[in-house]
This record gives sequence, structure tokens and C-alpha cells, in this order.
Amino acid sequence: MSNDDFRRELNSTFDQVSGSPSPGLRDRVRSGIAQAPEARGPFWIATVAACVIAVLLVGVLFVANPLRRPSSSVGPGVPTASPSATPSPSPSTSPEPQLPAFVCASSVAGQHPSSEPVAFVSDLRSGTHAGYDRLTIDFSNGGPSGAVELKPQSGTTFTQSPSGMSVTTKGRSGILVVIHGADLHSAYNGSVDIVTGYATLVEVKRVEDFEGVVQLGLGINGTGCYRAFWLSNPDRLVIDVEAGNQ
Amino acid sequence: MSAAVLEQRPQILARAAQGDLDSFSQLIDPLLDPAYRLAAVMLGDRSAAEDAVQEASIKAWRKLRQLRGDAQSLRAWFLSIVANECRMARRTRWFSVIRVADVPAQAPDDRESHSDLRRALMRLTPDERLPLVLHFYLDLPLDEVARTLRVSPSAAKSRIYRAAKRLRADLTIEEVF
Repeated sequence: MSNDDFRRELNSTFDQVSGSPSPGLRDRVRSGIAQAPEARGPFWIATVAACVIAVLLVGVLFVANPLRRPSSSVGPGVPTASPSATPSPSPSTSPEPQLPAFVCASSVAGQHPSSEPVAFVSDLRSGTHAGYDRLTIDFSNGGPSGAVELKPQSGTTFTQSPSGMSVTTKGRSGILVVIHGADLHSAYNGSVDIVTGYATLVEVKRVEDFEGVVQLGLGINGTGCYRAFWLSNPDRLVIDVEAGNQ
Repeated sequence: MSAAVLEQRPQILARAAQGDLDSFSQLIDPLLDPAYRLAAVMLGDRSAAEDAVQEASIKAWRKLRQLRGDAQSLRAWFLSIVANECRMARRTRWFSVIRVADVPAQAPDDRESHSDLRRALMRLTPDERLPLVLHFYLDLPLDEVARTLRVSPSAAKSRIYRAAKRLRADLTIEEVF
């Protein structure tokens, strides 16, 4: 078969397969296009609307910032966010306007509003955020009946109670957290020595869990400033340790 | 396409790009027949081919401003939209059976060889049929085939030859080009 024969035969086969377009195709296409111009507008409008919605969403997420919740968990417990009390009074810079300011000296965080004789710590959670690292102490049966003291210190050595032995945490300085009216053994079965791997709050270590008093030693880098406040549902004490020049 | 239209194509194209439907129709009308034939061979379904051409025309109307090059590029650009539309039509159909187009009555003596060739043609994938349609049936020059396929001229040549060899194994390249 010659080249011309092949072409002729192939084109004849193409003709059989395709046939001719229907006489109405031109009108059909034209009417389809005639209805299409409006689509130019709505497509642009849809694109602009999608951009506006995206910008609004990003803005809302930035303001609400749900990612600032504690991001890691070392024990059982489910976090939620609903501020209930803000006991720390001293002035300092604060990245979130609704939260208390950071303080750099010892302070006493007041009693939890729904205090129990002995509140059971159910979880210790840590997370890192822009400007601070967070420790969240969850309670399973309401807040503790006693005060919560926070005591910054220059070293990272803490005295265990009741043994009197010294323990040392990582970091360059420390904060001792004393919770009166709580225990760390009835509802908590996680680690009592948590190395976070964060830049500021580097370690959380149990110092005391005896006769309704829980002490935690926080090993930190940074300014040693912090803020503490209560949240509910579940009841929890939040301690933010401010990041600073390392 | 008339000589007058050919001469005025840049102006017509500019007006069409501004949204003038009559100008666009002047440009696209002569391309509907080759577009339909291309779609019909790719899809093996005449009704679906007309749908694909209609959709492709609407897309071309909406995207005319994106046409790169001058009015000479319009045919390759439009046929590539049609080919894309055919691929999409095949993908979106919920069934995978390709309806075979009605075969018109033919002379008994050449029915057999034509039907062999037709069977061989329909065994090719639509994308293998595409360069054959462009080169043999629509008689497009090689560089325009390449632009429609969005490949280099040498790649287009290779695709045409490969597909043609699958229809007739003893073809030489000289017989194809």
C-alpha cells in the first residue's frame, strides 16, 4: 500500500467514525457562548470573594489563634479554653490582652473558685508558643483548696520534701510551684520528670507530693518571668513562662 | 476562511478579546468543523463530540485573552482546548464504554479492509489517535500539530509515526511524512 493509499484509507475511516457535524452545531455553540459572557463577571467576583473570605479567615484565626493552646500532652486529659480567673497582678508585657501580665517575683495565685479539699492533678501538659512556653496542670475534681505559690529562683536545684534531698533540673534558673490542697498520685499516672525540649521551659520535675501539697520544680531558660491563671472545663492551672534572651 | 477575514484577523481577534461576540464567532466558526471531527475521532461518539466542541468554544471565549501569539495561533490553541475537553469528557463519564459511531453503508469490496483499519484505529487510545487526526485528517502542518499537542515538532513527528505504525506495521517514516 502506498503512502497515498494509506492516507486515503485512513481519512475514509476517520470520515466513517466522525461523520459530519449536525447542522445545528454552529447555532448551538453560538447560543452557548451568548450565555457565557455573564460568566466572566461572576468568575472574577467569585475569585475576589474567595480571596476576601480567605483573608478574613486568616484574620479571624490570627486573632482567635486556636493553635496557642497547649500542644503536647504527657498524660491523659483533654484541653479546652475558657478563662475563669486571673490572679496575677504585677505589670509587664503581655502577648494576649485578655491574659494577665508576666511577673518576675514570687507571687501567690489565689484559690480556685470551686475548690476541693484535695484536688487531684490529672495531667501535666506543656506547649511552646511565640514569646512563652506553657505548663498546664489539669485537675479532675475541681481546683485545690489552698493557695498556689510561684517562687522564681536563680538556680535549678530544688529540695525534695519530705526527704530533704536535692534535685536539679535542666535550664539556667527555676521556678518552684507550690500547690496547697492537691495531690499528684490519685488521678495522675504520667511522668513526674518531663523534659520538654523547648527553649524556655526545659523541664518539669516533681519536688513534693505529700500530705496534700504538690511542689513542682520548673527548670527554665530566659527571664524567669511568668504569669499564672485559672481556666475551667476542665479545671486547670496555666503557667506561662516568658521567653527572653537566651 | 475568506481572504477578507484573514486580512482582518488581528483586528477581529482584538475585538473578540474585548468581548465582542460577533468577532469571536467570525474567528471560531471556521474551526468548528475540524474541532468536531477531532472530538468525534477522539471520543468515538458524535453526540459527545458536539458537546465537547460546545464546551471548548465557551472556554475559548472566556479565555481568549490568555491566547499567546497572534491570530495564526488560534487554530492550534482552540484544537488543544477541544482535545482537553475530550479528555475531561472521558474522565467524567461514569461509564467507560465508548459508543461506536454509526457506520454508514459502504461498497462491499472495500468494507473489509476499512473495517480492519477502523478496528485498529479504535484500539488506539484517544491520545494516540489525536496526532493522527491532526496530521492526516485535518492536514495540519507539523509545527501546528506540535503546538496543538504542546510538544516540540520532533516529538510530534515521533508521536504521529508511532501511532501510524500501530495501524500498519510495515509503514516507513517516508510514507508518513
